[in-house]
Amino acid sequence: MSDNFVSLQKLSLAYGQTLVVPHLDLDIRKGELIALLGPSGCGKTTTMRAIAGLMAPQSGHILIDAQDVTRIPANKRGIGLVFQSYALFPHLSAFENVAFGLRLKKLTNSDITKRVDRWLETVGLAHLAKRKPDDMSGGQQQRLALARSLVLEPKVLLLDEPLSNLDARLRLDMRLELQRVQLETGITMVFVTHDQAEALALANRIVLMKDGKIEQLGAPDELYNAPQTRFAADFLGFQNIFEVEDQTIVGKGNALPLSFQTKARYLAWRPGAVTLEKGKYEGKIKSVSFAGEQREFVIEAPIGQIKATTPAANLPRQIGEIIRFDLPSEGVCELRE
Amino acid sequence: MFQNRKEGLALALPAAIFTALLFLLPVGMLLSEGFKVDGLWSMQGYIDFATKPLNQTVFLRTLKLGFLVVLVSAIIGYACAFCIVNLEGRHRGRVFGLIVLPLMISPVARTYAWIVILGRTGIVNDTITGLGLSETPIRILFTETAVFIGLLQLFLPLMIISLVSAMENLPNDVIPAARVLGASWFKVFTKIILPLTKDGLVIGGTLVFTGSLTAYITPAILGGSKVLMLETLLYQRVNVANDFVSAGIIATILIIMSFGANVLLKRIATARD
Amino acid sequence: MNIKFASRLIISLTLTFLIGPFLIIILAGLSAGDFMTFPPDGMSLKWYIKVFTVESFRESFWLSMLLAVFGTICALILGIPAAYAISRYDLPYSETIKTIVAAPIIVPGIIVGLALLRYLVVPLNFTVTLALFMAHTALVLPYAVRVVSSSLNNLRGDMEEAAVLLGCGRVGAFMRIVLPNIRSGVLAAFILGFVTSFNQVPVSLFLSGPGVRTLPIDMLGYMEITYDPSVAALSALLAFLSVAIVFVAEKFLGFSRYV
Repeated sequence: MSDNFVSLQKLSLAYGQTLVVPHLDLDIRKGELIALLGPSGCGKTTTMRAIAGLMAPQSGHILIDAQDVTRIPANKRGIGLVFQSYALFPHLSAFENVAFGLRLKKLTNSDITKRVDRWLETVGLAHLAKRKPDDMSGGQQQRLALARSLVLEPKVLLLDEPLSNLDARLRLDMRLELQRVQLETGITMVFVTHDQAEALALANRIVLMKDGKIEQLGAPDELYNAPQTRFAADFLGFQNIFEVEDQTIVGKGNALPLSFQTKARYLAWRPGAVTLEKGKYEGKIKSVSFAGEQREFVIEAPIGQIKATTPAANLPRQIGEIIRFDLPSEGVCELRE
Repeated sequence: MFQNRKEGLALALPAAIFTALLFLLPVGMLLSEGFKVDGLWSMQGYIDFATKPLNQTVFLRTLKLGFLVVLVSAIIGYACAFCIVNLEGRHRGRVFGLIVLPLMISPVARTYAWIVILGRTGIVNDTITGLGLSETPIRILFTETAVFIGLLQLFLPLMIISLVSAMENLPNDVIPAARVLGASWFKVFTKIILPLTKDGLVIGGTLVFTGSLTAYITPAILGGSKVLMLETLLYQRVNVANDFVSAGIIATILIIMSFGANVLLKRIATARD
Repeated sequence: MNIKFASRLIISLTLTFLIGPFLIIILAGLSAGDFMTFPPDGMSLKWYIKVFTVESFRESFWLSMLLAVFGTICALILGIPAAYAISRYDLPYSETIKTIVAAPIIVPGIIVGLALLRYLVVPLNFTVTLALFMAHTALVLPYAVRVVSSSLNNLRGDMEEAAVLLGCGRVGAFMRIVLPNIRSGVLAAFILGFVTSFNQVPVSLFLSGPGVRTLPIDMLGYMEITYDPSVAALSALLAFLSVAIVFVAEKFLGFSRYV
């Protein structure tokens, strides 16, 4: 049964008296790359630690490969975890870091050497086998941590903010690296991130979390194009979110008639979806800033602030001027709550 | 953070039980002797103790010297810490090492040196008579001044260390920023440095005060029986008179004073916020 | 005013006050005369040599040495697990435990000595040496816990979790990962404990008996009888010993971080 390889059932997690995750049900498929996305404090890291066995749930069950592992200690679960800080062992060389888990399994020396060398090769660190982690760059440390987990052939690999400690160029390298490893090994990967771009780029499916609950679950394009709640929309870059009453947009005690029909309670537009210089609404330009390929506007309208972008070449308008704009039906997202 | 509380307790309890049973219990029993007269609970011991003029003098002297040492070491400490923090790296390490060094040396040796310096035929008196400032050597040894000097030398490093580490943690450039905003050096000290280093001052002050109260060798060697402090008084009461009631009382006073100093310094430091 | 000059002056004066007395002791011990004076009456090494011939100094030196070594080792055996529990576990009553373990710092040594003599040695027939040993262990314990704790706090906690996920047990993670990485902290704690214990005086004021005297007490006793420079010479030698230990420690461990 490929559908729920990792299964969290009625999981409730707490630190002392603080309930972080009240009740979570989640199924993860075999071989998928799934992202737990959300702001800090949403319970994503806690959930990951529970899967790893680093914290015991208050109630509920965790199943991995059809086996209930809720009571199995972390060191016997067969799960890999790449820590945000990498948690490499500073007193051991790169080789010994990777060999650590194998030595505990009492494998023969030649077997260990063979496997470690193969993985160091895979992540491109073969030439640095004798180096200590502190003498390696961030990207190398990241790949070493990856090799150290993967050499044990875990059933599931967990990654905590895998790209957050890397600079922009290395992020791309690492993203490709993770996708390649996933493709080659077919391992199930669960990673935690607060960065929507990272989740969208890397994951097959995204679990958006808020206050310990799943806010929305779906493929990246589903989440990006059709968030269902104000929280999801806001988190995924819809900067203009308004309430709708009787076919009018209401905000700040004012109302503007809508130019199209909707049954939704809330509507959201990305800045790029707002049309400028034409339309039936008016607002005053509060700020204009040049951001490379586009120009970003903040417009003070009766219903509140509107954020809009246009191609940089257009519209050299000044702060304080009155500008017309429209919130069109193209590019609108209807939210249920 | 591991959540297994029993495992944590199993690791921490041996140390706690050892200290509680073999250290705190006997000490507590000794303290309780102060509240007993002829085996019965009574405050009479405290009343008798408090009414003896000698005890009053010794108590006040200990308190006074303790505060003086804290005050002077804080003044020197701030000046010194400020200078040390502004040294460049390699130099700073060396100076800091030299400041720490005396802490590693036996207090017997450190105190003994002052006999040679402050004695009747010591360097100070040789200089004074040599310069004709005084006909006869002046008495420095066996005075409060000698004890004060000895204690200051003993505990100054603790204050400097605490203040240096507090100052190293000052955010970058707050002092230049305050100067640019027009603050005088005095204002910079009272409004910026002092509030931001108060934790170091509290730690250093407590260490120095507690150290001064509980030092035995310095008052014994430099003060002798002429300048008794609470510690030396306690030793005398037990050795000469077998007086365990006084011993219990003095011990209680010393411990309360150490605690009190810590609380008081914390209060002073937080009152500035 | 030249700030650089003023700052140098302050540092030099402070260092003279802190270290100067010591140089005087060293020189006074080199005196050829029979009494402590400074400047010394001529130069000779005779007092430095005499120190080694005094029987009681030799005995008390070894007692102090043994107390310092074994007291500190014992304090580490008790203190390392306690420090680990305090820094890594969700420990019940952790404030109480911390207070108990730290308490010996504020209890004056003389009271400790007297209390152990009166309630352990006399009624329970503990030997003076055993009582001394316990007192020294308890006195060093707070330092051991503090230094090892700060060392543990510098070590990221997720390293042990990583080891556990790679298949280690809790004990294995401690032995294989934690201990190697706090080694220098443990050594620093040992040296600090050793020096504290070796130089400790007030505890042993009451806890001495026939043939059982620590070196500082022996020196105090000697000073009361004779005023010759041998105590100065001995002080200087001990100071060199301490300084040498600390110097080596600093060189290899960056010891002053932990003080």
